[in-house]
Amino acid sequence: MPILEARSLTKTFRRPDKASGFKGAVKHLAQRKYKNYTAVDGIDLSIDAGESVAYVGPNGAGKSTTVKLLTGILKPTEGTVRVMGRDPHTERIANAHDIGVLFGQRTQLWWDLPVEESLKLLKHMYGVSDADYKARIAKFDELLDLGEFMPALARTLSLGQRMRADLACALIHAPKMVYLDEPTIGLDISVKDRLRAFLREMVNDGTTLLLTSHDLADIEEVCERIIVIDKGAVAYDGPITELKAHYITTKAVNLYLEDAVDVPALAEKFPEFTWAAGEAPSEVTVTYESARFSTAEVLGSLTAQLAPRDLSLSEPSIEDVIRRLYAGELTR
Amino acid sequence: MADTIARDRSLTARHVGGVYGRALVAQIRAITEYPADFWVMASAGVMWNLLQFAFLTVLFATVPDVAGWSYHEMLLLSGLLSVAAGSTALLCDGVWSTGQMVLKGEIDYRMTRPAPVVVQVATTHIGMQGFGEVAFGLVMAVYGWIGAGLGLAAAPVGVLALVCAVVIECALVTAFCAVNFWIKGPMSNFAFMLIDLQNSAMTMPLGLFPSGVRIVTMFVVPVAFVNFVPVAVLTGHLSGWWLVGTPLAALAALLAAVGVFRLGLRSYDSAGH
Repeated sequence: MPILEARSLTKTFRRPDKASGFKGAVKHLAQRKYKNYTAVDGIDLSIDAGESVAYVGPNGAGKSTTVKLLTGILKPTEGTVRVMGRDPHTERIANAHDIGVLFGQRTQLWWDLPVEESLKLLKHMYGVSDADYKARIAKFDELLDLGEFMPALARTLSLGQRMRADLACALIHAPKMVYLDEPTIGLDISVKDRLRAFLREMVNDGTTLLLTSHDLADIEEVCERIIVIDKGAVAYDGPITELKAHYITTKAVNLYLEDAVDVPALAEKFPEFTWAAGEAPSEVTVTYESARFSTAEVLGSLTAQLAPRDLSLSEPSIEDVIRRLYAGELTR
Repeated sequence: MADTIARDRSLTARHVGGVYGRALVAQIRAITEYPADFWVMASAGVMWNLLQFAFLTVLFATVPDVAGWSYHEMLLLSGLLSVAAGSTALLCDGVWSTGQMVLKGEIDYRMTRPAPVVVQVATTHIGMQGFGEVAFGLVMAVYGWIGAGLGLAAAPVGVLALVCAVVIECALVTAFCAVNFWIKGPMSNFAFMLIDLQNSAMTMPLGLFPSGVRIVTMFVVPVAFVNFVPVAVLTGHLSGWWLVGTPLAALAALLAAVGVFRLGLRSYDSAGH
């Protein structure tokens, strides 16, 4: 049973169509023209309870707009959204009890109040009982180290502290469906690790998660399913493992030779592989199709004939796959 | 889900009142973080009213009345307006940020919480000048009340007038600030115009102005019911029947504010698409 369903979800914004400069602005005052811009174009989504879904795409692909449509902030131009059977826009109050939202670029903390005060205001707003509030704060403190900055004013927090506090705000009412839009943006690696561990635990506890992020490590570590969106439409929707298995068809060996490498000569000698010069003159990268050759076979052949000083193996990351999806090189 | 409290998915007046009250109390606590700002702003609120007080005192040193209104009646008029205007700073100052919130997409979070957006916006901050305005406004009003010979018997009418004045003023400011959902800009120019209209026209007896102004301020934008009508009734310049209009105007202004804000939210398209 899907917890979230969107059918033909479309959002079109009206933008002024005016020439640049002062003349264009004055002309637009007298003769107003607008252009329609479709940010989300007929997206179908279905997310089951307990799923952890990554929602990725290049800048301007329509990710944030989709999240705003799914959370009820925006009203769709066309199509429908149902979250637990409700329209999140028209049934905003009822929907709000079941969802948690974090927009990484903005805070929902009250700027001049201590973090604890913001959490208490939200506790009251969501009608969280004292016992549940205490238990959740204790858990957030354990996993996110909230205690150290609970008495601090929101405006005095570092970005990492602010993000952790915002995450606590988004989850204080134990929502069933959580939307996180760029939750690790601007964070250092240790805070990212802590947040990812927290999200994994949240998903293990049965919370449904929709995560948008440009940091693909967030996605690989937290999500099982990935939806790639580009130009407002879905470019890929499926398990991350399947995405990797389907599209990661090559492997690479980096060779460090004794002398400078003659790449064209090597390409002629080993035409079944793809050769590329490395950073240093004595470095070269060999790419081969993993379905045709085993790694042992390739290494055996190369070490026997080229006697490299050193070598390393590399596998294209999911980041490479998604980059190629954005570029339209891959389709499903 | 273990939550038991307020799992009722609809909003109750008690819940909304609780959210509003707690947010406001939290903001008052936050003021203690800025003691210098508090005293400067509160003093500014007193200063403006002190100027109005001085103006009336100087004016009445040369004239016995203005359109039939005495010095103390005029003080009551100005005092009630100051209390109402100061109350908006204390009770719903956040609505002045509506335009900025719309431009920056700061309404987003507020739409994902189970509380009316207008309540959340209104309680975003407190205008500290309101403390000075309300305090000195009350001083002027009480001084005017006593000087105008109004006794304790009229106090219930005074309290009703005060409550309605605060409601009308808060509602009108909210409605005029909500115009920024459509007219995109950080400044609430329409609300500034409303305040300007009140400071220019409503500190004087309405009889001084053409009938057009009287009609607009009574029946279109009912600012006359904030101070002029109740004070005119209390001091016998208008018949008692006019007092019925004050709570009606308060109700109409309240409904209009909620309606305009709701319509605005429907057209809200956030920021950063």
